[in-house]
Amino acid sequence: MLDSSPHVAETPAVAEIDALHVTLRRGDQDIHAIRGMSLDIGPGEILGLVGESGSGKSVLAMSMLGLLPGDARTSGRCLVHGDDMLSAPAEVRRRRRRSSLGAVFQDPMTSLNPTMRIGAQVAEAAESDEEALRLLKAVGIPDAHRRMGAFPHELSGGLRQRVMIAMAVAGSPSLVVADEPTTALDVTVQAQVLALLRSLRDQIGCSFLLITHDLGVAARVADRVAVMYAGRLAEMGPTGVVLREAAHPYSLGLLGSRLSLGSSRTEPLATLPGEVPDPTRPPAGCPFAPRCDLVTDRCAQEPVDPVEVAPGHLSACVLPIEQVRGATEKAREKEGAPPAGTSGHPAGSSTQPQGDVAVDVRRVVKTFWVKAGRGRKQRLAALRDISLTVADGESVAIVGESGSGKSTLLRVIAGLEHAGGGEIALGHGVRPQMVFQDAGASLTPWLTVGDLIGERLRRERMSKPQRVERVAAALAQVGLPADVAGVRAAQLSGGQRQRVALARATVVPPKVLLCDEPTSALDVSLASGVINLIGRLRRELGMAVVFVTHDLSVARIVADRIAVMYLGRIVELGDAEDVVHHPRHPYTRALIGAVPDFGADPPALPGDPASPLRPPPGCSFHPRCPIAAEVCADPDLHPRLLGIGHGQVHQVACIRTEVL
Amino acid sequence: MATGSTATPVRSRARPRLLSGGGTTRLSQAAAGLFALTTLIALLAPLIEPYDPLLPVGQPQLAPGEQGFLLGTDSIGRDILSRVLAGWQSSWWAAVIVIASGLLVGGLVGLVAGTFGGIVDNVLMRITDTFLALPAPVIAIAVAATLGPSFAHTLLAVGIVWWPFYARIIRGEIRTLAARPHVEAARLAGAGRIRLGLRHLLPGAVPTAVVTASLDVGSLLLTLAGLSFLGLGQSAPAAELGADTAKNLSFLLQDWWIPVVPGVAVMVMALFGNIAGDGVRNLLGDR
Repeated sequence: MLDSSPHVAETPAVAEIDALHVTLRRGDQDIHAIRGMSLDIGPGEILGLVGESGSGKSVLAMSMLGLLPGDARTSGRCLVHGDDMLSAPAEVRRRRRRSSLGAVFQDPMTSLNPTMRIGAQVAEAAESDEEALRLLKAVGIPDAHRRMGAFPHELSGGLRQRVMIAMAVAGSPSLVVADEPTTALDVTVQAQVLALLRSLRDQIGCSFLLITHDLGVAARVADRVAVMYAGRLAEMGPTGVVLREAAHPYSLGLLGSRLSLGSSRTEPLATLPGEVPDPTRPPAGCPFAPRCDLVTDRCAQEPVDPVEVAPGHLSACVLPIEQVRGATEKAREKEGAPPAGTSGHPAGSSTQPQGDVAVDVRRVVKTFWVKAGRGRKQRLAALRDISLTVADGESVAIVGESGSGKSTLLRVIAGLEHAGGGEIALGHGVRPQMVFQDAGASLTPWLTVGDLIGERLRRERMSKPQRVERVAAALAQVGLPADVAGVRAAQLSGGQRQRVALARATVVPPKVLLCDEPTSALDVSLASGVINLIGRLRRELGMAVVFVTHDLSVARIVADRIAVMYLGRIVELGDAEDVVHHPRHPYTRALIGAVPDFGADPPALPGDPASPLRPPPGCSFHPRCPIAAEVCADPDLHPRLLGIGHGQVHQVACIRTEVL
Repeated sequence: MATGSTATPVRSRARPRLLSGGGTTRLSQAAAGLFALTTLIALLAPLIEPYDPLLPVGQPQLAPGEQGFLLGTDSIGRDILSRVLAGWQSSWWAAVIVIASGLLVGGLVGLVAGTFGGIVDNVLMRITDTFLALPAPVIAIAVAATLGPSFAHTLLAVGIVWWPFYARIIRGEIRTLAARPHVEAARLAGAGRIRLGLRHLLPGAVPTAVVTASLDVGSLLLTLAGLSFLGLGQSAPAAELGADTAKNLSFLLQDWWIPVVPGVAVMVMALFGNIAGDGVRNLLGDR
């Protein structure tokens, strides 16, 4: 009953976790995933659980659902309505899950049964078709009646996640565990789903445990935030308090390394040095101590339990809160300190690009033919008449959601795909090199790092010792020790792999460095380090950079100019600051509004990004556009990029700009 | 390990599999042990055979253990243990030769087809399909008819029908690998076709090839046994596990050990091959 079950306010807590320890067995090693966590979730509360990969947040979710693997060793309690989901008999846990719990996971495609129609799957949880239809309508699925008969693969990612949410809230659970529910979604869709979670809470009064790696996501919807680090609670408190007056050095570090549309473009981004401790050998004391600037002798001795620093605000740090906050400024200066003699721009540069052109893309078209079942093929227009010039030494970011063609454009420039029409001219010099989103997959697994980097030196006639020296120099330049040359990619962490990929791309500096979402698979603190590194390499080696990202706040930091793409066309192009702070195209405005940030909560853009298989006629954005007029849908309309303002540097492809 | 200020040490999960304990490792060790044992028996067979495998050395049809013949004697009084050891040796070498040459030829065809793709792939694979359609006995008879009957010619015939399996498997594996980002990254790094094939693709197909090959020992032995049955195997007095089983089937009811012992030997060798295959797969599994 979505609208008729007011939550019972006198219940003390829906869920209570007390001194929880979970140790998992993987291969022949013990993974100490959770090492003493206590927290509770009140009725109707949204608790945001924030942590980087390996912090144990997903294991906590599984504990709460009573779904830990059989060989997990646990201690402590994990109560849901008084039943311990760790020790209760399977039957009790099953009943609890059915009556009181719901779950939403990151990838709805793997959570939904691909062979069952949507309606049947939801009805399984809702117990009747009528209830299923009502739930699908309640989670905002347009044309819900027709969609009941669809299979999961026929829905977009955003709609699939809504179906998962409908199943999770079926039967009015008192707690929904949502593990990274928006991570796989585009930003505009993410904003819709987050808004949906909150409106569901308001309607049915169920609590949410919202697990996320992104503080911005938690900030947007959570009432309270808990920060986890290496299986322990670092800090917990009301959202506003934790974000504004963080008390734990780790939270401060996370907040500091987080990018927003207001981050400084002229200073290096703050990063956390080092990496998350190995969960097979957790440190005896405060797990954050090895990375902490304020570390004292006491920190390494024994684990620190969270203590109340203000009413309802817990922090697990031995230092008095004043000392932690006082040292924040000092901490900011440490890791990111630029080498002497260079100004500290993270990646954007003040040096005017020279006149020469590094990449000149002229009216490029790229069409794929994708299988549409029964031998038929369907046209996928990935790039529709793209023109873009990148000057020597310039950095241009290409921003867009999935299906916008941004990666295809990069691959065409790299020469990995042939353009179907138009021209691509590259400046003279070393051919473009590319850094991939999944650095691990881009490194041949059976070759050593030294082999991979040295491969690019084969054209140059040099002796073996010379080559070894060049490889070591390239590694040093990305901040890795020379002995990394002897290991394989599998032995490196995610951040190290991305650095190796950068060393490989720059050992012979290319004219243009192409970056395909190099930071989106990395944790926040590591991503900042990689962004700083790309900026430094670019300045030192004089490379032009084309940086593809879905994240405008990253684009603003790394780029001199930003190109916004939608369904194979560039809809806005201009100086990074101009585009972010004075966006002209309604789509750019929606993208900026959707960036999860503290305190901001503009209305979400309606609808899903249209499919490149069927781009709407005229201006492809018109079905979602708040200012669209009838003429925007005219099939003969081909919106061109036109300069606005003085200098015509800022270009927009919208015939309705005068309305804005 | 020395580290810079911004660097973190490389995680120490460097290839511990062979050294540390654990279920996977034990299986691999067992597999390695069995492989070594099989090879050792094959190599040392002439030294450890108690009697000449070709000559009658005792009364015919003695049961295992009787008069000191550990596995008994066959219908004309030859020592079965000696014949099994000699047969083990010849089967083992036959398996090694056919599989190794199959891997070599099939691997080369699969690698070239997979790496180059397009027309090269099409032509090579159609040729492979043609060979795949040939039945082993027919080829063996044809080879025997043209070159004369001999065990070497039988192996040649089996080799001719054997490599296409490997060509298909390795080509498929290479095609899958070729779609992975590391191949694109290598292309951008300036690796040419040949380098791409040998350095960035072939090593990735090795685990599958090795696993397939070791799992193949069983079916290869059975094929050879079948050819022996048709008289296309080792010529008459020579010990051969398949032939010894097939020819002596008529003794199954009264003197069961005469066909069963060499048959069990075939089974054991095939089983060793399979366990070794599983072990190799586990060892290389995380690629």
